[in-house]
Amino acid sequence: MSAQVDTALQVLEKQLNRPLVVALEACARCGLCAEACHYYLAEPSIDHVPAARGEALRRAYRAEHDFLSRIFPQWTGAEKLNEESLAKLAEMAFSQCTLCRRCAFNCPMGVDTPLMMRAVRAMATASETAPELLVMLADAAIEKGKDPSFFRDMFVEQMADLEKELQTKMGDPAARITVEREGAKILYVPLAGEHTIMPPAIIFNAVKEDWTLSIFEAANYGVFLGDVARAKQIAARIIDEAKRLGVKEVVLAECGHAYASFRWEAPNWFGETFPFKVTSLIEKLDEYVSEGRLHLDPSANPELITYHDSCNMARTGGVIEEPRRVLKAIAHNFVEMTPNRHEAYCCGGGGGLVALPEYTERRLKAGKPKADQIRKTRANIVVAACENCRLQIGEISEQYGLGVEITALADLVVKAMRLPATRPEVEKLFAGDPATVSSN
Amino acid sequence: MALLSLTQLLALLALLFAAAAFALRWRWAAQRPLADDRAPMKGSPARGVLYAFTFGMAPWAKESTRRHMIAYLRGVGFHIGIFAGLAALLTSPWWPLVPDSARWLFAFVIGFGAWLGFVGEIMRQVEHNLRALSTPDDHASVLLVSVFLATASIALINVGWLPAMYLASALMLIYAPLGKIRHCVYFFFSRRFFGLFVGRRAVIHSEATR
Repeated sequence: MSAQVDTALQVLEKQLNRPLVVALEACARCGLCAEACHYYLAEPSIDHVPAARGEALRRAYRAEHDFLSRIFPQWTGAEKLNEESLAKLAEMAFSQCTLCRRCAFNCPMGVDTPLMMRAVRAMATASETAPELLVMLADAAIEKGKDPSFFRDMFVEQMADLEKELQTKMGDPAARITVEREGAKILYVPLAGEHTIMPPAIIFNAVKEDWTLSIFEAANYGVFLGDVARAKQIAARIIDEAKRLGVKEVVLAECGHAYASFRWEAPNWFGETFPFKVTSLIEKLDEYVSEGRLHLDPSANPELITYHDSCNMARTGGVIEEPRRVLKAIAHNFVEMTPNRHEAYCCGGGGGLVALPEYTERRLKAGKPKADQIRKTRANIVVAACENCRLQIGEISEQYGLGVEITALADLVVKAMRLPATRPEVEKLFAGDPATVSSN
Repeated sequence: MALLSLTQLLALLALLFAAAAFALRWRWAAQRPLADDRAPMKGSPARGVLYAFTFGMAPWAKESTRRHMIAYLRGVGFHIGIFAGLAALLTSPWWPLVPDSARWLFAFVIGFGAWLGFVGEIMRQVEHNLRALSTPDDHASVLLVSVFLATASIALINVGWLPAMYLASALMLIYAPLGKIRHCVYFFFSRRFFGLFVGRRAVIHSEATR
């Protein structure tokens, strides 16, 4: 057995907690999960049946842990892991599964196939068969956390410039963007790029929120690698920052995997309940809207708008009704995709796929069911509360000629805000926003 | 009579073997870690688990079962037959005390389950995805259970078939913890984990969390 295979098996052994054992044992191989997968819908083949993906890992598991399989491996389909099967497993887990959980929700047994795929990703990462780019992105984030001082000064300078822009946009010289301000109530964690800072900054200032900005990004590439050690290091930067500043709440930018991992998984990685609340910007917007703290004019968004449920926000995160309540408050013409909520199709860009150029063709092909769904709504604008979804939908819009505009929810909220003196300026700002992807 | 006693003894020994083997599996699985979920809840885990075992199993609850309604109902009928068959097996020494009408009802439910089992095996051979997914273990499991159900159904009406039922049950019980049949035990844990997940995170009952 090669060292690579040995490492992968050691990782599998470490990953074998009770939920994973149950996922490996419970499948009845009934095949009902097939059409739950967007890869299968786009390209019906046995390789794209979630149960078949699970079987790929089960073969190795049985060879190690099943009495009958060790005596008669062919009887149960058991197969010792080797370099070739490990490479195939890694390729499958990183390029043919977006960890969207749609199969788990459609399985009569409740088999958690994404949990198995995450175990495979962990095995691949440890045995150095994971996509290098994801590893590099994760490691770069970790490095940034080790010594943020150089980066911090540059970031503060950039934010000072952005603050001036904000004051102009809002017509309010008191509007502020503070960075890592101690004692603030909210720490907002953006993504890379000003497009995830300016709209929330306008909203926070409009509702007179006591907020400050994190110097880190919410994205966590360690999660895509299935590598808890790396994911912990990346999350620790924000956790330490929040604790140091004494904030009461960490609000994450519109980012699916960042929310799902930071809100639901990070407390388990660290074995602690954080001394602050973790919310998504979507939940915060819903709170402001329901409390009447934002003055909104739905006629500012006259186009037909639809909402894409990011798998991490909805099926994994439980943020389902919040964006809909906000959309109904900021737009008159909202139409649902079918299916939606926990039954929504994955856009095809999840699980880190959007960051991997080697799988672009496969990713765009898998986006076909989502493209068909969007087309049926006849919407002009697609709102997505996840950066990866926005990028993917922008690309499938181009690929399948949908001609839709893709935007974040906060962008539309800003458009609907009653800021009469500055609204044209705000609109002008967003008209040229690079984050608003359009294939028109 | 000697054949009946012998097969009865075989079935009893097989039952003890199955119980011991499942206990060993249980112990192995229970030794595996299960981390406490420390993320503050948004919904109710109890509601999620209740959903997972009730409405979440309804044929209309999932897109997959709506799409494959007949295949799903076949599976449900097969498994109802299995539970009825196991109940009949465990109570077999007291069958003479059971009214004929009840025995006929059980015979019908179990027999129908057997028929659905054989249909399932045909589907496994015919449908290309199922065929590709199946291992010899899958075929053997379905056939062992279906034969057990068929013999149990007939034995309920004609006690002359009791040795055949005991023999079939012995084979099935010995195989159960070794092969795919064991998924029936993990089913309960799998649905429970699913229920806890959707319950804690308020994924299904999202409207109730405001």
